Amino acid sequence: MSSTLKPYLNAVRTTLDAAMCLGNFNSQVVERHIKPEVEVKTSKELLLTPAVIARNEKEKVLIEASYNSIRVSIAVKQADEIEEILCQKFMRFMMMRAENFVILRRKPMKGYDISFLITNFHTEQMLKNKLVDFVIHFMEEIDKEISEMKLSVNARARIVAEEFLKRF
Amino acid sequence: MILLQTENRIINDTLLYKFENAAAGNKHETTEMNIADFDSVTYRLSNPEGDKTHLLLSISLKFWEQLQEHGALDVLQRVYGSYLQSSAEDGYNVSLLFDLNSLPADVKALATKAALLKRNCFASVFETFFEAQAKGLSMKQAVIPYRDDETMYVEAKKDRVTVIFSTIFRDESDVTFGKVFMQEFKEGRRRNQTGPQVLYCHGNPPQELEGHNAAVGDNIGYVTFVLFPRHTAPNARDNTIDLIHMFRNYLHYHIKCSKAYMHQRMRAKTSEFLKVLNRARPEEKNKEKKTFTGKTFQSR
Repeated sequence: MSSTLKPYLNAVRTTLDAAMCLGNFNSQVVERHIKPEVEVKTSKELLLTPAVIARNEKEKVLIEASYNSIRVSIAVKQADEIEEILCQKFMRFMMMRAENFVILRRKPMKGYDISFLITNFHTEQMLKNKLVDFVIHFMEEIDKEISEMKLSVNARARIVAEEFLKRF
Repeated sequence: MILLQTENRIINDTLLYKFENAAAGNKHETTEMNIADFDSVTYRLSNPEGDKTHLLLSISLKFWEQLQEHGALDVLQRVYGSYLQSSAEDGYNVSLLFDLNSLPADVKALATKAALLKRNCFASVFETFFEAQAKGLSMKQAVIPYRDDETMYVEAKKDRVTVIFSTIFRDESDVTFGKVFMQEFKEGRRRNQTGPQVLYCHGNPPQELEGHNAAVGDNIGYVTFVLFPRHTAPNARDNTIDLIHMFRNYLHYHIKCSKAYMHQRMRAKTSEFLKVLNRARPEEKNKEKKTFTGKTFQSR
């Protein structure tokens, strides 16, 4: 299974590298405003073709880019009910702290679990290659964290049942 | 702490303190305490009619009627003997009166016995059924609504006693956690041959409850314990009753502990992510600007 992980992450990394070339662009619709074009989608000429990189049906990454912003949406692997719940809780937890996270979007795109919105201001303040590193690191760590949490739930259930039943 | 304590810690500690005080000959203090326990059970510890030398402990259970039907008063009479009052305090179901001037030598045991009051109320139901099974009779089911939306059914057959708990999961994710926990309970028999058989039905009541109008729903689960003679035998009886009557609280307690642990992990992971993200910010170089003669620039 993990034989597809490396090429998947490499593909995501190169696409992000290419897409994250952002520059300032004033809004053409409202005077003196600067909006992330990938969110408002008012001017078609500023939008690039969205790309989906899929590892399998359940795991994929959607990258929509525009002149001054890029939106990355990630669908995380959820094999069963408990993983679904853990993933939901974890994503909700982080999205509530989106202000701290700066590049996180408060609501994920439809069909995906979590979304990032990176604008030219972010790339001006932060190093671009480190941003890409972060997204890739994030994708790896989520999977690890969810399976660890699931293991801990199962271990706890086993201990609880054992303690109870061995008293009889 | 994995297993929940059967006795009520507050009552145990308070009574022990009061009894030891009295035994040491200290001045008695006025007592007035309202204590809550699992399953919406409330206690009241007070001085009857202001008499500081006596302590009145009363318990109120929502399902007292059903317990009475199964001979709860007989069991309480047996355990508490002279302490049991014939008529309970107003608004409560059972009362115990302790005379601080004439306490037995072993106050610790007395305090513990009083703290087990709730457990002893429950015990009556189980004991009746265990007796019936021991004699080889089968008895009609007992239905005890021990919580607002949750009921306990006890039935005795020739060679076993089945106890069925219906439990409601108020939170969506509790349902999934509950399923994981019950899966482990079901398989617990493989590791511990001594334990009872545990079955779990989600949503719909099991066959034994047909005709009882048992609740149906996505967030409702039914846990069945099949107790064999080795669990209901006189020497194992007390232990079994202790464990079984606290089961529902035990399960929900651990589900909530899991959720708290998850929350802790998520918090830790989120701060780790933030640290990694902050690596992306280049360090600010705080250059002090100086002129050739050595005067420093100040920013306004």
